[in-house]
Amino acid sequence: MRDITLGQYFPGNSPIHRLDPRTKLLGMLGYIVVIFLVKKITVFLLPALFVALVTYLARVPLSYLVRSLKPIRFLLVFMFIINLFMVKTGDLIWGWRFIEITEGGVYQAVYITLRLVLLLSGTSLMTLTTTPIALTDALEKLLAPFGKLGFPSHELAMMMTIALRFIPTLIEEADKIMKAQMARGADFESGNVFRRAKSMIPVLVPLFVSAFRRADELAMAMESRCYHGGEGRTRMRVLHFAWRDAAAAAMFLAMTGAIILVQALWV
Amino acid sequence: MIEIDNVSYSYEDSGRAALSGVTLTIKKGEFLAVVGHNGSGKSTLAKHLNALLLPTEGAVRIAGMDTKDEENTLAIRQKVGMVFQNPDNQLVTTVVEEDVAFGPENLGVPAAEIRTRVDAALRAVGMEEYAARAPHMLSGGQKQRIAIAGMLAMEPEVLVLDEATAMLDPRGRREILAIVSKLHDEKGITVVMITQYMEEATAADRVAVMADGKLLLTGTPREVFAETELLRAHRLDVPAMTELKERLNAHGAGLTDDILTVEDMTDAICRLLLKN
Amino acid sequence: MPIVVEKLNHAYMEGSSLAHNALTDVSLTINDGEFLGLIGHTGSGKSTFVQHLNGLLQPTSGSVTVDEYDMADKKQRVMGRRLVGMVFQYPEYQLFEETVAKDIAFGVKNMGIPEAEAMERADEAMALVGLDPERFRDKSPFELSGGEKRRAALAGIIVMRPKYLVLDEPMAGLDPLGRHDILDTIDNLRATLGCAVVMVSHSMDDMADRAERVAVLSRGALLRIGTTAEIFGDAEFLLENGLDVPQVSRLALALRARGVKLPEHIYAMDEMELALSALLGKGGYA
Repeated sequence: MRDITLGQYFPGNSPIHRLDPRTKLLGMLGYIVVIFLVKKITVFLLPALFVALVTYLARVPLSYLVRSLKPIRFLLVFMFIINLFMVKTGDLIWGWRFIEITEGGVYQAVYITLRLVLLLSGTSLMTLTTTPIALTDALEKLLAPFGKLGFPSHELAMMMTIALRFIPTLIEEADKIMKAQMARGADFESGNVFRRAKSMIPVLVPLFVSAFRRADELAMAMESRCYHGGEGRTRMRVLHFAWRDAAAAAMFLAMTGAIILVQALWV
Repeated sequence: MIEIDNVSYSYEDSGRAALSGVTLTIKKGEFLAVVGHNGSGKSTLAKHLNALLLPTEGAVRIAGMDTKDEENTLAIRQKVGMVFQNPDNQLVTTVVEEDVAFGPENLGVPAAEIRTRVDAALRAVGMEEYAARAPHMLSGGQKQRIAIAGMLAMEPEVLVLDEATAMLDPRGRREILAIVSKLHDEKGITVVMITQYMEEATAADRVAVMADGKLLLTGTPREVFAETELLRAHRLDVPAMTELKERLNAHGAGLTDDILTVEDMTDAICRLLLKN
Repeated sequence: MPIVVEKLNHAYMEGSSLAHNALTDVSLTINDGEFLGLIGHTGSGKSTFVQHLNGLLQPTSGSVTVDEYDMADKKQRVMGRRLVGMVFQYPEYQLFEETVAKDIAFGVKNMGIPEAEAMERADEAMALVGLDPERFRDKSPFELSGGEKRRAALAGIIVMRPKYLVLDEPMAGLDPLGRHDILDTIDNLRATLGCAVVMVSHSMDDMADRAERVAVLSRGALLRIGTTAEIFGDAEFLLENGLDVPQVSRLALALRARGVKLPEHIYAMDEMELALSALLGKGGYA
């Protein structure tokens, strides 16, 4: 339980790891837009090449990318089947009673699946190469301009940081409380869904009480360390864009341009 | 350095007086231990030292600054670093060195200087190898060392440890005591250690005993622990060797020195045996 | 019938790169009614070990038998678990019910005992740990003081009338006053209920004061087990293994080093008092 890692950071010191987290965060947003711009299966080759190149540069083992797809494997299968049977355009390939598979259906099923796979592997490349804390920094910095409009970018980032810090602690605590209640004969494994939910009360109540106590103590500790909000606060690690970030942006723009060009020439 | 002037404090919700009429001056460079059982007011007193609590009556002044004056709050908290009991609930971020940087960041110290301070602070507590680790993977003692480093990075003049060793195992306790003693001896940091452990109290220059929100007595560890009757009356621990001395004297052994530690007792017994 | 632990091994995260052995070939017997102390560093496997005693953890190999119930068997475990009351570190953090009495009764209700009888037993358990039922029965557990909460949590285990009471650092975080109170309560429980006590603690003075036998764990292995006198009488052995020793044991060691002749295995204040008065009386210095 102690060894859970949040997100799925793959430690390394590659050029991709060293990119400014803001570049990676913006890059990820851009990448999502680009994926949705693609209208033809064949054009997916370009973002696929891009993902392959970044993976290579980041020295992230391919197995990690595959692993990131695991949680959505059922969604992938489901989407594939739904599209395969529901889309009825183009020539009929195979039919039995009311079940029909059409050319359009096959195309759509492959298209949707590819899009999801590329979306997920591309975005997980960012979390694989960026620590949660760096991401939080990036988010705070990127949202800072909205602070003038009253958007609490610093508070949001601080909340994320504290959440990331305390999730492992609370998971460990939940484990302890569960064991303590099991020693008192609590049963978390049998019964229907309703009974099982009810059996969690002896775990959840102490967990919440503890979380509030921790929050209280943490607030006091932060206060005694001179915390007084984001105003006048400096950071030890200053984010700055480097030539590397410019190169990454150029590479990204080239891919986007190529996709637009290829599609424009084809359509 | 710290003047506690006739301070009383009552909790708002219960109205119970947690402190009543406490007067105590802590000199610069002093190592003061505050002992007393739970509910004696020792933690309440500690929280007055960096304006986390403000006196209901009386005043607390840190280097001449009144804690009641809000303008002083940040300056006071920078001067008085505070380490709390639960090692888990005072570390804020997911990376050790970023956590140590938290204080100076709040003070608006420039980035390059924070870096220097963080490195120095981690070295001072012997945790430089752990700079890039996640706090939840560390032991309790190590977490408290990080918490101390977090204080040192603010360059305080006073370090207050509010039962910082209560949740640690003996090894963790020894580590913290060694670090605190070193900081006191080598850097001249004023230390206020709130504790229930006698071995920690005996390491101090001066011990203050609290009971029922009042200051019972202060003095050197030897002076204080010689007052066995007073300590027992307030159900405080008497050091084992002091108790043994009393028992032996009841048999007419005639041990005259103040005896606090095993070393004291060994010397006293050997001297007595030689004399006979 | 005792708890018999045989060749107990436990590996965490088996099969991964982080695998490590938390316990290696631990064999020992916990006799009816005895007070067994368990000492060792943090990380020596003490907590892992005690969690096997009521089947919260399962051995990687080896066996734990509680009064002939095999704790590896799912059905027998349920019966065995009822005999072993487990008080975790900081047990007050497991309180959750609206009232102290309801919280204490949780364990017996899980055993299928009817409400009325469960509440009666809760009152009884409260009295046993020194909480006045009249005063505390209907209070919220969250209103109690730290020491009272710990007693209430202890009552929540006692209510199941365990034959073996296992306590993991029951005095952690308490002041000297609270420590003595809890230790007295444990002694009192043992006297009234006749249960065996297995206590994990870092406090050597308390251990020397209360335990009958002591087991020393180090890096997951049972280093030594013996009577309290055998373990604490050999201060050198404990110090060599980086463990604390009671102050009286340290004094015995220091006096012997200076040539003072003392009887073997001295670790308790009373014995030291006797031995030293005899020496000083005679003036016998070797």
